[in-house]
Amino acid sequence: MTRQSVFLTALVLILALSPAAFAQKFHNDDPLPQDNDKAVNVTSITKHKLNDQYDFVLHSFGKPGDRTKGPAANANTIGEVPDSSWFQNRQGMVPMSVSELTTGPNTGTGPSTEQPWVIIQAKTEGVTPGFRIRDGRGDVYFIKFDPLDNPEMATAAEVISTKFFHAFGYNVPENYIAFFNRSQLRIDENAKITEEELDNLLKRVPRRRDGSYRALASKLLPGEPIGPFQYYGTRPDDPNDIFPHENHRELRGLRVFAAWLNHDDSRAINTLDMLVKEDGKRHLKHYLIDFGSTLGSGSTNAQKPRAGWEYLWEPRPVFARIFTLGLWDRQWIHTKYPQYPSIGNFEATDFEPENWKPEYPNPAFVNMTDKDAYWAAKIVMAFTERDIRAIVRTGQLSDPEAEDYLVETLIARQTKIGRTWLTRISSFDEFGWTASGELRFEHLGSFYDFVRKPEFRVSWFSFDNTTGERQSIDKFEPKHNEGYYVASISSVEGTVDVYVRTVAGVDEPQIVGVERR
Amino acid sequence: MLGLMMTLALMMGFQDPVGEQSRAATLEEARQEKAENLQKPTRTFLEQALHDFKEKRVLERFQEGFHGLHPIVGGIRSGSGFGGGTYVETEGVRVSVQGSIKGYQKYEVRFTAPSVYSDLFFADFRATHRNFPQERFFGIGQNSRKEDETNYRLEDTNYVGRFGVKPAKHVKAGVLAGWLDTNVGSGTSRRQPSLEEVFQADNTPAMANQPNYFQMGLFFDADYRDQPGNPRSGGHYLASWTSFQDHKLSKYDFGQYDIEAQQYIPFFNKRRVIALRAKSTFTQTAAGQEVPFFMQPTLGGSEDLRGYREYRFRDRNMVVFNAEYRWEAFSGLDLALFGDAGQIAPRPGDLRFSDLQKAYGVGFRFNSAKSVFLRMDLGFSKEGQHLFVKFGHVF
Repeated sequence: MTRQSVFLTALVLILALSPAAFAQKFHNDDPLPQDNDKAVNVTSITKHKLNDQYDFVLHSFGKPGDRTKGPAANANTIGEVPDSSWFQNRQGMVPMSVSELTTGPNTGTGPSTEQPWVIIQAKTEGVTPGFRIRDGRGDVYFIKFDPLDNPEMATAAEVISTKFFHAFGYNVPENYIAFFNRSQLRIDENAKITEEELDNLLKRVPRRRDGSYRALASKLLPGEPIGPFQYYGTRPDDPNDIFPHENHRELRGLRVFAAWLNHDDSRAINTLDMLVKEDGKRHLKHYLIDFGSTLGSGSTNAQKPRAGWEYLWEPRPVFARIFTLGLWDRQWIHTKYPQYPSIGNFEATDFEPENWKPEYPNPAFVNMTDKDAYWAAKIVMAFTERDIRAIVRTGQLSDPEAEDYLVETLIARQTKIGRTWLTRISSFDEFGWTASGELRFEHLGSFYDFVRKPEFRVSWFSFDNTTGERQSIDKFEPKHNEGYYVASISSVEGTVDVYVRTVAGVDEPQIVGVERR
Repeated sequence: MLGLMMTLALMMGFQDPVGEQSRAATLEEARQEKAENLQKPTRTFLEQALHDFKEKRVLERFQEGFHGLHPIVGGIRSGSGFGGGTYVETEGVRVSVQGSIKGYQKYEVRFTAPSVYSDLFFADFRATHRNFPQERFFGIGQNSRKEDETNYRLEDTNYVGRFGVKPAKHVKAGVLAGWLDTNVGSGTSRRQPSLEEVFQADNTPAMANQPNYFQMGLFFDADYRDQPGNPRSGGHYLASWTSFQDHKLSKYDFGQYDIEAQQYIPFFNKRRVIALRAKSTFTQTAAGQEVPFFMQPTLGGSEDLRGYREYRFRDRNMVVFNAEYRWEAFSGLDLALFGDAGQIAPRPGDLRFSDLQKAYGVGFRFNSAKSVFLRMDLGFSKEGQHLFVKFGHVF
C-alpha cells in the first residue's frame, strides 16, 4: 500500500467515524468562486521531466493514483470548478463574445515578419519537424508544420483546439498560423542546425503555390518551465498542489472536451507547469500544450482510425484479433471518413462520447463520474453554432467545404456529448430567482431537446448547517430569518437538492449548494 | 500528517463547528502545512533508466555513430546470419562495410549525383565487393534434393553506373552499365559439404572458371505504395533487362529479364491488407552459352518461398507468387497469413502452374509508424518448417 493510499484510507476513516466533529456543511464563503492556489510562495522547486515511454508503460500496465472514483475534490459546493492556477471559468460561466473566442489566449498577432526570424534551436521534442525562432520583437516561438500529404491539417487543428481549450477554461499557449518564405530564416550560430539541414527539413513540409510555408507558431510561455504535470497525485514539491490531480473536476471533465475535439494525445507529456511570479509570489501555472493531434489530425499524418476508440495497448481486443485472424474487430474499423486532406480523419456518425478514449489510460479520465461529465458537457453545450464557426475559421482552412464539414462535425459531436452526459443525471440547472422571489431553474436536457421535460416536484426544507437535519416547510419565503434551506427537485431523473442561505438584511437568498442524486 | 488529513477533511465540506473558519482559510492552512513537508520528485528505477536513455540520447548517438561512422544492423543477404556494419556518408558519397557471424563481408562505395533540373534526372554509381563464404547450393532444377545441400563461396566485385529520369513523382526509368568480376570457391560451413565435394563442373555452369562481365541494361520502376516500409495501399511495379557479356571466357553471355508487380488492397480503414506479389526472372542465352549457376535465379527462403531453405531451388527461369492477408493486432504489431508458390525451370515454356512449389505460414511484423523493423515468418512446406527472423518487410 503506497503512502498516498494509506493517507486516503485514513482520511476516509476519519470522515466515517467522526461525523459529529465535521458537521457543518457550508462555510461562509461557499460556494468558493476562486481557489487561491497561489497563496504559498514557491521558494524551491525541481525541474522534473517525464519520460513518455515510461508514462505509456505506467498507465497501460499499472493503475497509478486513486481509482476510487469518489467525488471531485476541488469542485465547490455548487459543483463548479473555482478559478485557480489550473482553470479559469470562461465560456461555461458567462458566454464569451466571438471576438474573445477567436482571440483566445493571444496577446498579439504572432511572430513579426518585418525582420528575419533567427532560428535559435532545432526542435528535439515531439514528432513533427520544426525549430525555435526569435522574431524581430525578440519574442520566441516554436515553429511546427503540417505533414506533406495533409497541408493545413495539423496547424489548423492546433489553432482551432487552442481556442476551444482556452474557452473551456484551461491555460494554453498562444498559437498562431504564420506564413513565411525561406529567405525569412536566419540561423543562429548556436542553433545546432545547418543551412542544409534546414533545407532538408523544409523539403519534408508542404510548400504553398507562392513558394511560402505555412506553419504553426507557438509562443514561448511566460515563466520558467518546470516540466509536465501528471494526471495523478500531487507535485511533492509544490505546496499549493493539494488535490490529487485525478480528482480535479477540470481534469476529469477534460475527457469530455478531449472527446469532443478528439484530443487523443491528452496525456501528461502534453502538459507543462510554468513557474510564474505574481504580486511578489512565485507559483506554478498549469498548461495544456500541443494540440497537433486533435480533430482529424494525428500531427504527422491523418489521425489513426483507432484514435479515440481504443488505447494503444488493450489486451482483450488485441488477443481477440490475433486469435480470430482479424475476423473480429471493433466498430471503428468500419468508420468512414471524408476525403478532406486538410481535415484528416474526423467524423461524428460513429462517435460515442462515453466510449471515447485517449492513447492510453489517463487516471483523471478513468475517474470521471457522471457529475464531472455533466459539468463539462454544460460547457460544451454553451458554444453556439456561430461560436463554433468563428473558432473554426481561425484555422484558416482554404477549402470552404472542408471548413463547413468541420463545423458540422463539431456540432454533431457536441449534440452527442450533450445527449449523453446531460441525461445521465437530473439536469435541472441554472438556478436563480424570479422577480417575485421564486426559485427559477432550467431543465437542460429538454432545453437542448435531448429529452422531454419530466414531471417534477419541488419540496422545501429548512436545513441545519451544523447537524445536517432537514425539516419540511410549506413554503420558502426569502425574508426568513438567517439560515439555510433546501429545495429538493424530484423527478424520474433523480433529485437535485438546491441549498439556499438567507442572510438578514439581504433580499435575495444565496444559492450555496447544488447536489445531484 | 494527521494535521494535514484533518485539514483536508475540512476541505471536503465539513468543519469543526467550534472553530468557525472560511473554506479559503482552510485550504490555505492545508497548503501551509504541505509547505513544511515538501519533497523532491523522485523516479522509479525503470523511469530513471528510460529517462537517462532518452536524455543522454543513447539511440540517437548510436544512430549518429562515432566520428561519422554510422551503424548498420543486418541487411547483408538472406541466410548470411546476424550481421552488422558501419557507413560514413558525406555529400553524395556513402561508404559502407558490413560483416556477419558467418563470415560474410560486403564493402560498398556509392556516389549519388546532386539533383539536376529539379530532380527530373538522377545518376548514381556503385562499386560493391562481396565475399559470401557460405552460400547454399542444392543443385540445379526443380528436382534437386534437400539432402544434397552444399555451400560455396561467392566473391564478386560489381561496378555499376545508372542514369535515369523521373517523369512523374512515383516513376523512374533509366539505363545502366557496368563491370562485374566474379569468383567462386569452397564453402566454409561445417554443416554442409562444399559444393565441389558433391557436384560436378559439367552440370554446374561456371563452377570451374568464372566469367567477368560487361553489363548494360534498362530499368523501369513505378512505386505507388503509400508507405514503402510497410505498405497498406498502392502498388509497386518493376521491370528491367540486363545484358551480361562475358569478356573473360566468352561462354557465359546471357540476358536477364526481371519483372515484378506488388499490389496492396486495403480494407477496414487499412487495418486489413491483402498483399499480392508476382515476381519472375527469365534468362536468355545464345547457342552454346550458359548462365553461371551462381547467377541463376533462385527460390526459397525468407524473401519468396518461405517453408524452404534459402536458395533451395535454382535454374535459368523463375516465377513466384506471394499472397498475404495482413491484419493489425495493435499499433505495433501486424500479423499475416501467407501463401507462396513458385517454380524454377530451364525454359520459360517449362513453367507450369501444376508444378509450383508451395509454402504457407504465419508472420509477425513488429512495426513503427511507417516501417516494419522486425519480421518473424514461420513457413511450412513439404520439406518442413522454417522460422525466419529478419529486419525489414518481405514486400
